[in-house]
Amino acid sequence: MRATVGQYWPGRSPLHRLDPRTKFVAVSGLTVALFVRDSFASLAVFAAAAALAYALSGVPASWSWRAFKPLLWLVALTVVAQLLVAPGEPFLTVWFLHVSWQGLETAAFLTLRLFVLVLAGSVLTLTTPPVALTDGLAWLGRPLRRLGLPTDELALMVTIALRFIPTLLAELEAIMRAQRARGAEFGRGGPLRRARALVPVLVPLFVLSFRRADQLALAMEARCYTPGQPRTRLHPLRAGRADAVALLVTAAVIALALWAGW
Amino acid sequence: MTASRLDAAVTAGMAVTVEGVSFAYEGGADSVSALDDVSVDLPAGSSTALLGATGAGKTTLLQVVRGLDPPAAGRVLLDGVGPGEARYAALQREVGLVFQRPERQLFAATARDDVAFGPRALGWPEEEVAAAVAAAMEQVGLPPGEYGGRHPYSLSGGEQRRLALAGVLALRPRLLLLDEPFVSLDPASRESLLEVLDHLSSGGVTLLLATHDVDLAWRLCERLVVLREGRVALAGPWDLTPAGQRLLAENRLRPPFLAGLWQRLGRDPAAAPRTLAEAAEALA
Repeated sequence: MRATVGQYWPGRSPLHRLDPRTKFVAVSGLTVALFVRDSFASLAVFAAAAALAYALSGVPASWSWRAFKPLLWLVALTVVAQLLVAPGEPFLTVWFLHVSWQGLETAAFLTLRLFVLVLAGSVLTLTTPPVALTDGLAWLGRPLRRLGLPTDELALMVTIALRFIPTLLAELEAIMRAQRARGAEFGRGGPLRRARALVPVLVPLFVLSFRRADQLALAMEARCYTPGQPRTRLHPLRAGRADAVALLVTAAVIALALWAGW
Repeated sequence: MTASRLDAAVTAGMAVTVEGVSFAYEGGADSVSALDDVSVDLPAGSSTALLGATGAGKTTLLQVVRGLDPPAAGRVLLDGVGPGEARYAALQREVGLVFQRPERQLFAATARDDVAFGPRALGWPEEEVAAAVAAAMEQVGLPPGEYGGRHPYSLSGGEQRRLALAGVLALRPRLLLLDEPFVSLDPASRESLLEVLDHLSSGGVTLLLATHDVDLAWRLCERLVVLREGRVALAGPWDLTPAGQRLLAENRLRPPFLAGLWQRLGRDPAAAPRTLAEAAEALA
């Protein structure tokens, strides 16, 4: 079994080499700015920038489909809702449904915006390993330490959780096979029967996970992990000239988009 | 109660023929070949040790025989019946597979319910389930009167493993595949598990036992199959003649301890005893 956790695409593009903090700040900025103007012109600027960034990342274009696929239901829902409720002169009437140009336009706009949003987000996750992303977030969250928020510990928790997802999936697979070997059937019958069929899988999975968590905690303590102590990093985050350029470009894109949508 | 299943104290073991089976684990571009043109014969009622280094394909072969992994090439005949034939699915259900560390599959609130899981999943009538559970627990040395109501997690490690074995035995397998059943058991638990398997084997069940332990293999199994990098390196009855021992050594296996002892004593290693008791008797 192979699982893609997050959706990191290993590569050596300029975007891969950027500091995770830079990428996070840039994408956050773009996301906010994306919702400032309701104009196609501004959206076009963002779309072009996101597409350019995606191309720069070196990830095959076909991979973006993975990010878009889960959106299709949401898009369908948005389009239908817009077509139904939007005001304006109907150009097509089927029974009680009035489809107006205005509704069509709004639906297209919202759909496009959603795609740009997801495209920008996936550039971040495709070019940043989950652990680097967590490290970056922990650094950005540092001011919150003053409020007593254990940001480093939270980051470590997320890192550990990500690390163990493939392990748990492998374990899940092994348990399912074992139960199947003694007569279990999964994915058959009604929802109640399907849910009940999972009990023989979930109980051992939880027991094993708790046991593993216990052992991991002990092993970390045995290697002197002390919560709250400042830690040094094997790979310290380092922002360079490329990061400054990236942030400037992002700012320029945002300015251009806002100006275009005036 | 149906007599056929319940009074099967002596089981007619299943014959297995593995014909040119290949299997690879998919890993995207880098798929790993685990079995490469493997052919193995397990006569009905025989007991065979499956030896080989870690990663040689032992676990994969067991899972392929049980039908959990469809082979990329080749086929597995059960009692001469091939996949695609009508009886095949029913025969597959008579193949018991005991996974590595099977105690990890225990989930029910009582030992009895856990053993009953398989028979119930197959929809056996409740009184037949009860009889099968009682018999299986008795077989593994966990009498249902004493252990039936206990929580599986309250049992010792060795007891848990035998309970998991009972969960497989309750389905009355005619072929039992075991994946490293002795790993991390204390000596006493090993001994009681050995007795259970010995008993099953003499009761007629066909055994295929993946293990690293040559001495256990010698004690339990009259035949062996050695896998090396997914291929059959050696197969057939034990051969402890000098030539046979050289073959074992080539596969990084030493001869069983008792065979070595017999050789040191100037006796025929091929006629070495299988157990300490037999050795003591022969030497007395």
